[in-house]
Amino acid sequence: MDALEIPATTRTPQVSFDFPAHRLRLVGESYPEDVTRFYHPLFDALDAYLQDSPPHCRFDFELIYFNSSSAKAIMLLMDKLDQAALRGCQVDVYWFHDPEDDTMEELGVDFGEDLRAVNFRLERMVV
Amino acid sequence: MRASKLNELQSQLHSQGITFAYCGCITENILTGIGSALKNKLESEDVDTRTTRSIFAVFVEQMQNIIRYSARQASTEDKRPMKESQGHSRYGILTIGQVGDDFIIHSGNLIVAADVPGIRARLTDLQNKSPEELKIAYKSQLRNLQELEEGAGVGFMEIARRTSRPIEFEFEEVDDEHTFFAIKATI
Repeated sequence: MDALEIPATTRTPQVSFDFPAHRLRLVGESYPEDVTRFYHPLFDALDAYLQDSPPHCRFDFELIYFNSSSAKAIMLLMDKLDQAALRGCQVDVYWFHDPEDDTMEELGVDFGEDLRAVNFRLERMVV
Repeated sequence: MRASKLNELQSQLHSQGITFAYCGCITENILTGIGSALKNKLESEDVDTRTTRSIFAVFVEQMQNIIRYSARQASTEDKRPMKESQGHSRYGILTIGQVGDDFIIHSGNLIVAADVPGIRARLTDLQNKSPEELKIAYKSQLRNLQELEEGAGVGFMEIARRTSRPIEFEFEEVDDEHTFFAIKATI
């Protein structure tokens, strides 16, 4: 499956889904004008990738800020990863947060604690 | 030209500690533009990262609430609720100010009177929640959302998580069908 690369805009993060390398990243800020239009292609690509039962996968969330509508999208991405992990894929999720922004750290903890099979790690962003 | 009137308005804003004010049509494009200006302004000042991010986060949620839930279109006197009218052009006011160490973000807009009880119930509920309860409510609200684009419920919770004090709000009846809704967030 081909990689999905979308450059960042003011309101959307950089998407770097390198499926052949099993390395997926979301980097930057997320408060899209139309959250559905931005995230649906990501969901579709991730679903297609995970359907092929990759042996392992690493997803890095490197978000500086996201709004409340993006929060749902992030939760859905994590759910998909957790489902894959429950099916046997070795999934590592890294949540990078700005060390000076404890709200983003808390949100990482909140999302991470719901994951049943994913290996979740909280990391400090190098800023 | 009425320089004195304009000067008076500016002085009034300054006397209330307001350093940033916008009143008018609010669209997603305007959110993008003002958002960038606001970010530049905060970065150029000596404000810590967490405060800067919180101000920006509250700004985004308040602007999007106005876009989604205002009763009146900016370009006309159309007071039909959003679902009945076209587009995402809404009218509102937003100010950012500083009082002592606190940053205060106010916003106001006209809503349909029928929406008042629901908004009041949600905000009153949030006022009584501890930070821990807020976290749990935030997550369960997200879980309950069926669609991506939905729910001022989560928006209000995002504001509540970012503020140092409970959200304050007030309604002022305009006529039988419309109410002015004002919200105050302190960071």
